[in-house]
Amino acid sequence: MKRFLTIISLLLYTGFILTGQSSDPFVSKCVMNTGNEAKYLKDFRIQLGKAAEQNDLRYKANMSLWKNTKYRFTMCSAEDSKGQLILSIKDDANKVILSSYDKKTGKTYPFVDFVCNKSGIYKLNYDFTDGQQGSGVGVVSMVK
Amino acid sequence: MKGNITLLTILFILCFSCRNSSTKETEFVFPEADSIPQSEAEKLSPEAIEDISRNISSPVEIANLLQMLEVPFSSQYLASSIDANKENTTFDKALKLGILGADLGYLNMYEKTGSSLDLLSSIRKLAEDIRVGQFFDFEMIKRLSQNRSSLDSLLYISIDSYEQIDSYLRTNGRGQLSALMIIGVWIEGQYLATQVVDKYPDKILSDRIGEQKIILNDLLLLITPFCNNSPEFSSLCKDLYAMKDNYRDIRIIYTQGEPVASEKEGGLVITQTETSIVEMSEAQLKGLIEITSEIRNRLILND
Repeated sequence: MKRFLTIISLLLYTGFILTGQSSDPFVSKCVMNTGNEAKYLKDFRIQLGKAAEQNDLRYKANMSLWKNTKYRFTMCSAEDSKGQLILSIKDDANKVILSSYDKKTGKTYPFVDFVCNKSGIYKLNYDFTDGQQGSGVGVVSMVK
Repeated sequence: MKGNITLLTILFILCFSCRNSSTKETEFVFPEADSIPQSEAEKLSPEAIEDISRNISSPVEIANLLQMLEVPFSSQYLASSIDANKENTTFDKALKLGILGADLGYLNMYEKTGSSLDLLSSIRKLAEDIRVGQFFDFEMIKRLSQNRSSLDSLLYISIDSYEQIDSYLRTNGRGQLSALMIIGVWIEGQYLATQVVDKYPDKILSDRIGEQKIILNDLLLLITPFCNNSPEFSSLCKDLYAMKDNYRDIRIIYTQGEPVASEKEGGLVITQTETSIVEMSEAQLKGLIEITSEIRNRLILND
């Protein structure tokens, strides 16, 4: 009985270590899915209603990105979201550097690796496909 | 004949302007004024302030770069002289909370988590003293520190705790403490990078130090509204402006190019061909190493 309780305690403890973080479990899960070699840097928590009209991506944030670094941008959408979380990054001259959504094919990439060669402050724009309602998290990590 | 000359001129202009656009260079410069007008800094919206605080280069990124360059870990770079029990003012507590946060990032990245327990106690004390201890899950961080396989969770919990503290301070009328914490994080990251480059000269690392010129202006925007709050704030502002002077003639040049895309393992890979190039002399780097060390070592003294 004692051994059984010890095993249960160990299992609970391990589970706690892996998933029982005090912060948002949905964010934790997304962080844990960024890959073994990825090291967490930041996250952006996004919750949007349906867009009245489809123009620019609606959630905007700035972030400094540094030369000689490979960043991984991972997008996770909550199950009840109507659209998929997408990301577009623009530089300080408003030029689109990357987009996780291919308008021509309609393909959405769950993550984008960005090999940065120009240090600066970039504009990160998130939204859900077709301006749909949804909630999700965008995780930024560093990869080798 | 006149028509041919006109045509040739047009072709020449077109060729010249095409070539010019593909190799165009731009440069990052500080705004003209020597100091940021207080009114300009006070105009910053809460969103702009949040953006600035998010922009600050994470000490985790500096530590990651050091690992990439195979620089060995050294505890000598840590602010171990900080004694959380001897900090009297909220100014010192917030600033040192930032400095120790950067040290925690460095220890975590090098997985020297056994050594981080003392540091965590100091962070806990400082955070509780400025009434933000509730955002720092010390027990969880301690447990993750002892579990070497969960680096990503450890980074997540540690960084997230600091971001929650920052956000709470800003939205509860204590923006001056948030600014101090962010500046503490940045100064310690800058200290780490400059100390390492002094010992292990490396172009990539010295470039990263030079590129902090981009961030310094934002930090000044953040701190300027509080520069007249107290002699301590005035002194810190003076230090940051002195650092700005050291950056003034360091140039960051940008060359243009189009990103290259490919697919890998279900994801998209974008390689940027635009580049930033730092033009910084040995003497300018030396100047940055010296001023950073002087400011940081003075800040970590226990009064």
